[in-house]
Amino acid sequence: MPLELKQVQITRRGEALFAPVSLNISPGETATVMGASGCGKSTLLSAICGSLSRGFTLRGEILLKGRAINAIPMERRNIGILFQDDLLFPHMSIGSNLAFALPAGMVRHQREKKVTHALNQAGLEGFEDRDPATLSGGQRARVSLLRTLLANPGALLLDEPFSRLDQGLKGQIRAFLFAQVKKMNIPALLVTHDPGDMAEGPLIDLTTHR
Amino acid sequence: MKLLLSLPAALLILFYAALSCADGWNDILKEARGQTVYFNAWGGSQVINDYISWAAEKAKKEFGIRVVHVKVSDLGEVVSRVLVEKSTGRKDKGSVDLMWINGENFKAMKENRLLYGPFTNQLPNYSLVDMENKPTTLFDFTVPVDNMEAPWGMALLVFQYDTRRIHTPPGSMEELLALAQTHPGRVTYPAPPSFYGTTFIKQALLELTDTPDALNIPVSQADFEQVTAPLWRFLDRLHPLMWRKGKVFTKGAPGMKQLLNDSEIFISLSFNPNDAANAIANGELPESVRTYVHRSGTIGNTHFLGIPYNSSAVEGAMVFADFLLSPLAQARKSDPEIWGDPTVLNLSRLSPGDRALFEKIPAPKASLSQSELVKVLPEPHPSWVEALEKAWQNRYSK
Amino acid sequence: MTFTPQKRPLKSPTGISKFLLVFPGIVFFTFLATVGAGLLGTWLPSLGYLPAMGKTALTLHPWTELFKHPALGGAVRSTLISGWGIALGAFLLSGLLFAMNYGSRTWRVMEKMLAPILSVPHAAFAIGLSFLISPGGWLVRMVSPELTGFDLPPDWVIPKDPHGISLMIALILKETPFLILVMAGALQQIDYSATMAVGRSLGYRPAQVRLKIILPQLFPHMRLSLYAVIAYSLSVVDMSMILGPTTPPTLPVLVVQWFNDPMPDARLMGAAGATLLLGMVLGSLFLAYLLEKAATALFKWRMANGKRETLLSPMAPVGRTLLMGGMTVFILAMVILVLWSFTWRWQFPDILPERWSFRFWEKSIHALGPPMVKTLLIGLASTIAGLVLTIGCLEYESTLLEPHAANRYKKYMSIIYLPLLLPQVAFIFGVQMMLTWFHLDASATGLVWSHLIFVLPYLFLTLGSTYRSFDRRIMTTATLLSGSPMKAFLKVKLPMLLRPILFSFAVGFSVSVAQYIPTLFIGAGRFSTITTEVVALAGGSDRRVAAVYALYQQLIPMGIYLLAIFVPKLMFMNRKLMQR
Repeated sequence: MPLELKQVQITRRGEALFAPVSLNISPGETATVMGASGCGKSTLLSAICGSLSRGFTLRGEILLKGRAINAIPMERRNIGILFQDDLLFPHMSIGSNLAFALPAGMVRHQREKKVTHALNQAGLEGFEDRDPATLSGGQRARVSLLRTLLANPGALLLDEPFSRLDQGLKGQIRAFLFAQVKKMNIPALLVTHDPGDMAEGPLIDLTTHR
Repeated sequence: MKLLLSLPAALLILFYAALSCADGWNDILKEARGQTVYFNAWGGSQVINDYISWAAEKAKKEFGIRVVHVKVSDLGEVVSRVLVEKSTGRKDKGSVDLMWINGENFKAMKENRLLYGPFTNQLPNYSLVDMENKPTTLFDFTVPVDNMEAPWGMALLVFQYDTRRIHTPPGSMEELLALAQTHPGRVTYPAPPSFYGTTFIKQALLELTDTPDALNIPVSQADFEQVTAPLWRFLDRLHPLMWRKGKVFTKGAPGMKQLLNDSEIFISLSFNPNDAANAIANGELPESVRTYVHRSGTIGNTHFLGIPYNSSAVEGAMVFADFLLSPLAQARKSDPEIWGDPTVLNLSRLSPGDRALFEKIPAPKASLSQSELVKVLPEPHPSWVEALEKAWQNRYSK
Repeated sequence: MTFTPQKRPLKSPTGISKFLLVFPGIVFFTFLATVGAGLLGTWLPSLGYLPAMGKTALTLHPWTELFKHPALGGAVRSTLISGWGIALGAFLLSGLLFAMNYGSRTWRVMEKMLAPILSVPHAAFAIGLSFLISPGGWLVRMVSPELTGFDLPPDWVIPKDPHGISLMIALILKETPFLILVMAGALQQIDYSATMAVGRSLGYRPAQVRLKIILPQLFPHMRLSLYAVIAYSLSVVDMSMILGPTTPPTLPVLVVQWFNDPMPDARLMGAAGATLLLGMVLGSLFLAYLLEKAATALFKWRMANGKRETLLSPMAPVGRTLLMGGMTVFILAMVILVLWSFTWRWQFPDILPERWSFRFWEKSIHALGPPMVKTLLIGLASTIAGLVLTIGCLEYESTLLEPHAANRYKKYMSIIYLPLLLPQVAFIFGVQMMLTWFHLDASATGLVWSHLIFVLPYLFLTLGSTYRSFDRRIMTTATLLSGSPMKAFLKVKLPMLLRPILFSFAVGFSVSVAQYIPTLFIGAGRFSTITTEVVALAGGSDRRVAAVYALYQQLIPMGIYLLAIFVPKLMFMNRKLMQR
């Protein structure tokens, strides 16, 4: 169930942000798109997850599980995204944040079990009722990742997810993240400007890719 | 106690039965049942508001009419609303069913055909009105009423003074000026074109002019400059001695009542001879306030009830107006403890029982006795109002 | 494998944007229609066209009558003096107080009091203030006769002085907190602490940083509110009737008097007067625009003159005193209302009533039910409808991510601010005429609609900037996680914005409660609200009843403000980030 980009290019008022990109990411693999800030790498992620701004035009084709998703609304693309901020919902407890990502239809008991399971797995036992504001940066990053994964995405997009973490935490979260991608066996795409963040999968440098 | 209250009510019903020999009124009573009457009336006085809500409760009980008091701060608003309705071609289902009206507003509505009627001769209680001795029930500011509005209460320009500050009240405009000289800053009057202010100016003119007869003819046929010259001479002398040196005016009697209570001024005015008594009973004025009139008499008029041409509840409005004219309602209204507004009825025409309702009302010492109230001056021709207001504004409101 | 490029560029990934277009559509066209019809319904009569009274010939007669009217000159003069005095006074005062005192303890106390202060309706405040400051009022009573020797009230020319100075001071007191609130909202748009750090590291005193660096950044966010203050100050009716000059009154009061005059010609002259007032307001707004340009040019070099000290720093105590004084006046104006409401008889120079009474409160409980219910229902209906439209419009705007499109959209939508910038009397009579045509006068729909016109701009004003700065990525994340934009909107965005939404609800609600002229004219007296009762009673002589009603008028919006503050606090009790 790979994520494929075929000659994908984004233009704004007829002007291309970068040369056409083609990529094939296999399940369990994490590809990297490098580039200085402003080169359009975040815009590329918006195009893939479906939140591309008006005024930008997408050319080429994006396929998930062999299906073109260009015209599918964001909410039905089945893609997860992680930003550099954890973006936990401040009005919900940690448990509710996680339960929000679970598909509808499960009974409450089941949902609670899933949430607890996910928290335990990430070393956050008993955090269900905690206020997100009381967690440390590393804990929040982990909850954020757990939340994304609980929605059971078919692919994962990572928008500089480590850039706000300090050096020690960074390694920890990176390892946790890549392990989860492997375990769920989904394709992941990481964009970053920091060569240190690179994953072991395919690599495209948008700065040189004009 | 209950019996005592229900007795007049029973009499009232008997009275109706006797009077409404014509089927017409019975039909109107039948039509009125279940109607809602929007009664647009000045809402600035809690005393009056309380009286109206008493009457509304009675009307609900006895006639099945729901009366809603729309509290208005200026009746001109209502006239202008009816005008807008006419301009957009609304012939029925108007928003106003009955209104408290007189003077200028009546004139404007009558001239613009905004009134329903004539209707008052259909009201059983109308025959009790004292038209012989109270000519203002037939001529509203000299404009013929023509049965287009039902008399509701009598008004008379009276003055009030605080006996703690003044021993002898002034008996004329000249004496008022003399009082202002000994007590500078303690005399004022409301600014025209407010109803109260214009009446004060007319009163002063009636007292001071050398040619009072000229006031009975349209202003265009009189020598305005010559007739009014003594008035302006008087005001020019009075203003510098007045409250705020004549630079600030109140809008009407209500504002002056507050100032009298605060002792900012020593003399106030009212259209209701029982107003001071009522205000004392009500805590609004000190016990030391008394009422007086000028020796030459003061201007009197009548206030009325009118029905707009497009009223949604003509029958209900008529039945309620008739109830307000009933001895029961009129007697309660004239009680200084309740409101103190003098009746429009001729007491000699009432049944002994009804007359007793009036006779048992005690005369408070802050009010005027009947004998003091005899001399009522008629209103000048209405065309004088606008001319006087304009001239006053030209001089004192720039 | 061949790849075919997308032929049709993908503009909107979902159909939501199209659906949302309904909201701005409704708002734009109905506002245009209402305000347009309102203005036309005033302009035509000013040219002698009022078929109702058989006036169909176009003539300049109403205008010549207007300019010949003896009261016009004085009315225009006092309107301009008090109006400009209020606008300049409130603007300078809020700016200087901010520069001198921001962040101090007094300021923080004041910020806490801002909501209750703003919720005080103008009429209630004016009544309280006149009980306080008139020569026979409470302040003089407090020191008489012991300190002043006054056994009788002095004959000072306040309030209602001919130049409108007391009106001016009262409105400066009332409008300054509004501008401070707007400033507090604008502060969220810039990084205050970083800017402060940069400024201070360059050796500038905090007051100087606020004056030279922060305020110029805040101004663009305040401009619209300042314009609204200018327009309001020039066209205020209810406060001017209570505190303004009398012979002649200010122009807006005069216009209302003419409109209420039973003589048709006075009505035509009133229409001309309303149009003149409109011209004065528009001219003043243009002048304000020019002044801003001139000030920018003038202060350009002064901003960068390198002076790091400022007189404002040593003057901070003055600012604190002013802040305390202002707050005290508001508190006293309320206390005096409470005192009068329990009075039976109270004469000069007694500091307290001679006899007390509960009678007026007791009576009010019977009488107040219906107007209270109507006030609440009209307020709720217009504010809820307004919020739905506002959120719909803002949500549509958030789908316009391209700055150009968003700016163009905002420009079109700025039509909703028109009711804030036009004098009410310049178009409400025309609106009344229009609603009467459609038989919507005296109807709940018509009345709620007329309130909505004045509520909506305040909702936009208070909610707009917070709503716009909501992090888009949160909505992306929530939509991707839940698979439903609706769910993301209802479960994440709305709850996260609950506090600003409720606050803006409270503002909108208190705007609705305070509406006098629309309620009176559009409601055709069928809908007596607490405000129509208050203004009717303010014209009477009974201070005690007026005080009781003014307090009710004050308590309703204050209650809603309290709810707006405490409901989110309780709902998100254990959520630290939601408590800010």
